[in-house]
Amino acid sequence: MRRWTGSVLKGAAALAALTALGATATNYSLWINGRTGGGQLGNYADFAYWGPSSTAAGVNKKSVNWDGYNHVSDQSYLVRNALDCYCTGANWCYIAVHSAGNLMIGYNLDLYGGSARYKKTPVPNAAGECTNSDGSTQTGWNIKWVDVAAGAAGGSELSDAGSWTTSEPLVQDLKTTTARAMYNHNNTRGKMFYMYAGAKGTLYSGILPGQDDEAVAYHSSGGVAGSSGGSYCNPSDWFCNDLTLGTGATEGGHAKWTNHSVVFRDDSESYNHYTNGNWGGVVSKVRADMALNAQ
Amino acid sequence: MRNRRLAWAAAAVAAGALGWYAWSSAAAPEAAAVASAGAALPATSPFAPLSASASAFGDANRRARAEQLALWQQRLARAQDTLEAYRDSTRYPYESQPSSAHPDQLYPNRPIDEDHALRTRDGKAASGVRLRTSQERVFVQGSESVRFTVSLVDEAGRTQPLRVSRAWAHELPKPNTASLFPEVPLNFNDDGTAGDAAPSDGVYSATLQPATQGFAQLLGAIRVEVDLQYRDERGMTLFDIVYTPQSPADWQGGVREALEDGSLNFYLGANVRVPGRYVVTARVDDASGQPFALLTFNDEVAAGAQAFRLSLFGKLVRDGKPAFPLTLRDVDAFLLRPDAFPDRLLMPRLAGIVHASRSYALASFADTEWSSEERSRYLAELQRDVDAARTRVDQLGRP
Repeated sequence: MRRWTGSVLKGAAALAALTALGATATNYSLWINGRTGGGQLGNYADFAYWGPSSTAAGVNKKSVNWDGYNHVSDQSYLVRNALDCYCTGANWCYIAVHSAGNLMIGYNLDLYGGSARYKKTPVPNAAGECTNSDGSTQTGWNIKWVDVAAGAAGGSELSDAGSWTTSEPLVQDLKTTTARAMYNHNNTRGKMFYMYAGAKGTLYSGILPGQDDEAVAYHSSGGVAGSSGGSYCNPSDWFCNDLTLGTGATEGGHAKWTNHSVVFRDDSESYNHYTNGNWGGVVSKVRADMALNAQ
Repeated sequence: MRNRRLAWAAAAVAAGALGWYAWSSAAAPEAAAVASAGAALPATSPFAPLSASASAFGDANRRARAEQLALWQQRLARAQDTLEAYRDSTRYPYESQPSSAHPDQLYPNRPIDEDHALRTRDGKAASGVRLRTSQERVFVQGSESVRFTVSLVDEAGRTQPLRVSRAWAHELPKPNTASLFPEVPLNFNDDGTAGDAAPSDGVYSATLQPATQGFAQLLGAIRVEVDLQYRDERGMTLFDIVYTPQSPADWQGGVREALEDGSLNFYLGANVRVPGRYVVTARVDDASGQPFALLTFNDEVAAGAQAFRLSLFGKLVRDGKPAFPLTLRDVDAFLLRPDAFPDRLLMPRLAGIVHASRSYALASFADTEWSSEERSRYLAELQRDVDAARTRVDQLGRP
């Protein structure tokens, strides 16, 4: 009898928790990794890719892990699972992405952002999937804005000619022509993409055009539109067009993708591409912004 | 709006250090750092009125308050920017957007030109020269062919002598999977033949038609590798394409137009063999040939005779005032394959002008902004964020 009563009470408590989660408006901060991955797929508490999980990085932060190895199209369901879990119904999300995570969120917003999504109760199972809350659907996800660290949605010249292992499916996606043809980067469905572009790159300066963070060049991390890359720099370089702050065209008149705004340009060449397991590189700038504004 | 965003960006940089310091030092990590915008101020809060006994801490409190004000001013700016961008982008539906918002989507059939360092096989960049390449397209369907070109220029843009020592096409199989398709040699030439535009201009060209060159059964990626030689430097470059051998649907029945509910709809007939989510994109030019709009369709489609509706939204016409007749051109379409690579099966592209519209009076079109549950949901939430941040700024700004 006591066991039965205990079970009923536990069940009631769980039901109450689920009901509360389903009914209460909650904001979440979703972090989408780039190449190499590292976090356990479907485990939204595993921040292995980024750094210590105790670090402040936005309200109710979740790590949206994908393998960072296979094609974006193969892995994109993992991102949709997370968006369904945390960014539907009464719940809203702030998104932070790094490197190829930029390609991942842009791809999902353009191609799936207008699809009908079941509203979910944000209690994921081991695979990172959540159950439907009330059986109703909504169009797209509830996303306030997207912070992009070292965005690789415009591809990287390191994929163009073998600096990275070309047998990696993701590296094939990151070829500049392929990344830029993969989807319509202008279609963010009205959401702002705030771009953070690092410039502490030296190793591949002969291969990556303009300023780079050692993995991606400004044409990508700055969200410059076009079917191919280009050379963009800091204002101190007189022989190269500037990557401008904000949404306006670069020096030389090249448009950025719509709703892409450069909020950090690394004029002091201090930030590289890599998290170093401790929210490092240009990710540190995005982490600070998320802690500040994703609340 | 752009000027305002630039000003916001500058203000954000200036306020960022102060605001972040205030946030990280004044609040405990994570949960405690979540300050509900509408919450009442605790007595110990830096926003609470100063008591006489606290005068010793007056300066510290004033400083903390100023820091909080800077923080909330930054949050207000972010919230306003987010709201303004969303509202501006959604005056017209996503499926019917001004061409100016999609500058790199307007001419999908133009070759993709790139300018690279000349990469040597050991990963270095040859100095003093740049490699220029082009490829006609990335996604290729059926009997389409793709032309590739390479040329070398010096820093002044003068063509330099280049030799293509070897070029070949091969499948890019999945990792740890052997290809079932042969390596196909390609002949880059500068003879003005076989797709080369002009003889002896230093631009070497080759054409690959997957359907007739060994890849007719391949749904996947094909790589073209090119070995190059410039003086004593050996270099290389790569081109990738993604090939769809069989179309999941065929165009059928032409284009029908109809002015419906204040918008001009184009219906493109198709015989759909494989049901699923189709993505169709088309461009609309005005009577003078200037790009006017980008139209898209993205929805589930059943098998059988169907019509893809591409809608030119009424208010977009009212605001843009294009000269009629309009032309619909360069239509591309594919079946989206979720969770797979390749992620699409291409339909035959419709290159060039596909349809010319009738002429309509401007007053025939609706003059109301797009409305939908999605837009209302977003505008309400983003406005709440603005209001909450403004309330905080007002509270903190009071003497």
